[in-house]
Amino acid sequence: MARRRSAPAPRAGTAARRPPRPAASAARRRGSSGWTEAHVHRLFWRAGFGATAAEARAWAARGRAATIDWIVDGPPGGTKLHGPAPRVDGRKLDPVNEWGHDQLWWLDRMVRSNRPLVEKMTLFWHDHFATSEQDTPRMLAQNRLFRSHALGGFRPLLKQVTRDPAMQLFLSLADSTKEHPNENYARELMELFTLGRGYSERDVREAARALTGYRSKWTNKGFQGIRYEAEEHDDGVKRILGRRGRFGVDQVLDLVCDHPRHAPFLVTKLWQFFVAAPPSPATVRALAATYRRSGLQVKPVVRQILEHPALYRNLAAPDLVKAPVVYIAGALRTTGSAITDNWPVWLSSTMGQQLFQPPSVAGWDWGPRWMSSNAVRQRFVLGNYVVNYGRPRVRRGAYKASLRPDRAVAIAIAAVGSPPVSAAERAALTRLARHWFDDIPKSWRDKADWRAESLQRTLRHLLIAGPGAQLC
Amino acid sequence: MVAAVPAALAVVVVTVPSAPAAKRPAASTAVGVSQREFRLTPYRTRVPVGEVRFNVTNFGEDVHDLVVRDARGRVLARSAEVRSGGRLTLAVKLKRGRYRLSCDVANHAQLGMRAGFTVVKPRGGR
Ligand SMILES: [Cu+2]
Repeated sequence: MARRRSAPAPRAGTAARRPPRPAASAARRRGSSGWTEAHVHRLFWRAGFGATAAEARAWAARGRAATIDWIVDGPPGGTKLHGPAPRVDGRKLDPVNEWGHDQLWWLDRMVRSNRPLVEKMTLFWHDHFATSEQDTPRMLAQNRLFRSHALGGFRPLLKQVTRDPAMQLFLSLADSTKEHPNENYARELMELFTLGRGYSERDVREAARALTGYRSKWTNKGFQGIRYEAEEHDDGVKRILGRRGRFGVDQVLDLVCDHPRHAPFLVTKLWQFFVAAPPSPATVRALAATYRRSGLQVKPVVRQILEHPALYRNLAAPDLVKAPVVYIAGALRTTGSAITDNWPVWLSSTMGQQLFQPPSVAGWDWGPRWMSSNAVRQRFVLGNYVVNYGRPRVRRGAYKASLRPDRAVAIAIAAVGSPPVSAAERAALTRLARHWFDDIPKSWRDKADWRAESLQRTLRHLLIAGPGAQLC
Repeated sequence: MVAAVPAALAVVVVTVPSAPAAKRPAASTAVGVSQREFRLTPYRTRVPVGEVRFNVTNFGEDVHDLVVRDARGRVLARSAEVRSGGRLTLAVKLKRGRYRLSCDVANHAQLGMRAGFTVVKPRGGR
């Protein structure tokens, strides 16, 4: 899969990065069954972090089924990161010990992974099982857990998350004992992780009893992990969600997974992650049926959402607000740029999303709420960084003031990775280009090539960070 | 919900004059340190000789600080106080040997906010 705009001369080791060639050049823009580059852009942004120009071309030609297969199942040969690993201040990233490098490390995976959907789903689980204010090594371990279960079964994921040290310490499940049961985890388990509603306070209390027994171990060398100690577990009879028994940890998790509210709850949340418009009741029923039939597997549900016509509605008028990290990683990925500095860290946190630090156990507020006035300002600032340090950098002396306005716009669009640009946006940019030199007398124009550079910078900035780039 | 901007960071540089962040000595190792009541946890406890930058995050509710002592108990570096949710870097040049990290606020060290730390010759020598 190529991330670069135009294919460079073949080098050793680059073969894997090249997308499959279109079967025929006639099929370039429009593949079979109305599957176009616009469809590919929509899918790649929703399921990942945008498509490069080469990906859009190649996958439009390959068709809908092949594209969705590639997104959902990944390329043969497993997960790979393309291109060189980032270096910041001349060093390799140190995600455990350097502030912000944990975030850069993950952003870099979003930019360079050949499994963008896996990274996107890792982000979904990070929001779904939102954990915060825990030591970096444990947050990174939790992140690996989410990644390895990104598209797997919900039940095993939930069982692992329940035992995850970062989660256990965050919601005080660690050291919740028979004598002093803590209800935090039991409550979020039902409210935020599995059911949403349809349970009582009594269910929470009784589930908390069933979840007792985990102890955190600390020595003078620090945290030594979580252990289950049977004598701290309340093995009495509990009444949970209408069932009675001497329930233990995994039985409670099975009870919530098998509860009729769980499937509609989770598939609706998944849908909302990918599609702005709410799902119809029939869609929820269909997705829930798929989820249950598969034994609570996430992948077939996600596939069904990615195949749904609603995902491709209004290709010319996107309506899903890109989350800050999606916006940043996507700008780097689609322009073929790399992480070379810390700026993505403070930029994403000032846009309202700091990875590994969700605001609460309920995660982030998605959708239009990302667009606070300060966040919008920071989103515009992103253009500076990508244009100054990324691949769309403007070359000195490469542009003529005599360039036709529509040509100048076309060059800028190609330079930022040929993103989808609406007709209105293209017209506005062309107008800008047409009047860019108005204050310079005609007779001086052939000396005004430096102004053509500032025009290119401005056009690229607007393409990367303007209104059209905020939605997908 | 919007997290603090980097301006909120206190950066305390003990052995290196506060220069633009770009250039660091070649032998400089970052050590993440978390603080909460009443635990102090370095994410790495063996580092090579040279500058050590302790990147401290206070996850707790109290104010904490970070003090580096050598094996004989001599104070080599002492950070400013870190407020709840705050961060700070304490940079110090360390020779080979064993060191003690602690929080010297009130009786926090006694309550558990202390840890050992070892500086070793880098592999391959230098
Ligand atoms: Cu303290």
